[in-house]
Amino acid sequence: MNQAPADPWADPRNDAALVQALAGGDEGALRTLFDRHAPWIYLRLARRCADPAVVEEAVQDTFVAVWRKPSGYRASGEVAAWLWGIALRRLIDRLRRPARLADRFRRVASPLRSPSYERSAEEQVLLGIQFGDLAGALNHLSPELRAVLQATALDGLTTREAARLLGIPVGTVKTRLMRARAQLRKELA
Amino acid sequence: MTPDWHAEPVALRHYVAGRIDEAGAASIEAHIPSCWRCRRSVATLIGLGPMAAPLSRIWGGIEERTDPVRRGAIERLVVRVGLPEHIARLLAATRSLRLSWFAAMSIALGFAALAAHGSTDGLLLFLIVAPLVPLAGVAAAYGPGVDPAYEVGLAAPMRSFRLLLIRSVAVLAASITLAAAAALTLPHLDWAAAAWLVPSLALTLVTLALSTYVSSLRAAVGVAGGWVAAVLVTESLSRARLAAFRGIGQLAFVIVALVAAAILANRRDAIDRRSA
Repeated sequence: MNQAPADPWADPRNDAALVQALAGGDEGALRTLFDRHAPWIYLRLARRCADPAVVEEAVQDTFVAVWRKPSGYRASGEVAAWLWGIALRRLIDRLRRPARLADRFRRVASPLRSPSYERSAEEQVLLGIQFGDLAGALNHLSPELRAVLQATALDGLTTREAARLLGIPVGTVKTRLMRARAQLRKELA
Repeated sequence: MTPDWHAEPVALRHYVAGRIDEAGAASIEAHIPSCWRCRRSVATLIGLGPMAAPLSRIWGGIEERTDPVRRGAIERLVVRVGLPEHIARLLAATRSLRLSWFAAMSIALGFAALAAHGSTDGLLLFLIVAPLVPLAGVAAAYGPGVDPAYEVGLAAPMRSFRLLLIRSVAVLAASITLAAAAALTLPHLDWAAAAWLVPSLALTLVTLALSTYVSSLRAAVGVAGGWVAAVLVTESLSRARLAAFRGIGQLAFVIVALVAAAILANRRDAIDRRSA
């Protein structure tokens, strides 16, 4: 069944119903979910990682993970957002291999860690920014500052996850975030 | 849930083509997770572009990893034990870890064990055959010409030497279990019932060491021939029965095993190089 079905949106089931069908071993549901979501996820990951092979693996990991554990989806919220959360973390997983033992331990030790557990950097950035020409201000940021802002404010990663994604120390993420915030504030003032 | 706002088609096209400023991209990326219409637009655009190929490749990989039919019993077992998937796949693709292989080996061992009930010559036959099982298994598990997964092995994100060790240990463990089960059916469960163990290890190691110089098939045939000849010659020259398997013989096999292991460790670079 390698040929794509005509239109993944022709399936009357919504995403949540498809995820539910996965639990029953419905491979067609997986295909439909893939056709609906893999394109934008692939594209969005590719904008965050220069190595196409790693991006391919991360997308693959994402849907395999969903297939094995569809129960990870809580019946509230967008399936798309859930998938994106998995995909981005899979990308980070792929990037930091071979995993350091300390990281592994940390993951095991804090299974309940969610983006809100460690204060999301999103707030740190957006706090205090009044609306102004946000688009213009964003485009004026240097690529380094923008990448940090994108990983934290837009993708909702913690500073540590952002550090892994970007391959820089946590401290650097924090300083760049502060600088980005300062610059945005100045431009928007 | 479909919001009223949608990304402009032109902006989406630029986004997919990677020609959009950061603010525009950020805006689209924030919108897409909550809007299936814009997701569909992106999917359609990507389906027409150069990203369609990687996506169908990705799907192929997903199918392979989720297809329950393609996962054999061994692969499932190995995954359950906690080994990584790529190792499981390699082991599952190992010919000498397949059921048909075990069946063939069981039959050979069964006949030898049966013969051992008849006479001491029969026991000698069993002791000759038992070490050949792991030897044949290891030879069949590795190397071009024999191995259906040879290409997979080369493409594996692992050095060849590690691959060889993982496979050999798996094959060795399975073969020895099989031979031990056969030995339990021997008429007398005395020292002779375990006398094949050290020779098994020695022969396997010698085969592995030799296969760094010649093909594993040649190495296996050579070692097997040498083994049978050595046992028979010892037997005919010596006054005691099963001479090759008694004290001094066992000691000799230990030494042979150690020497072969040392050669193997020394030649690991040769193995990695050959497959590079």
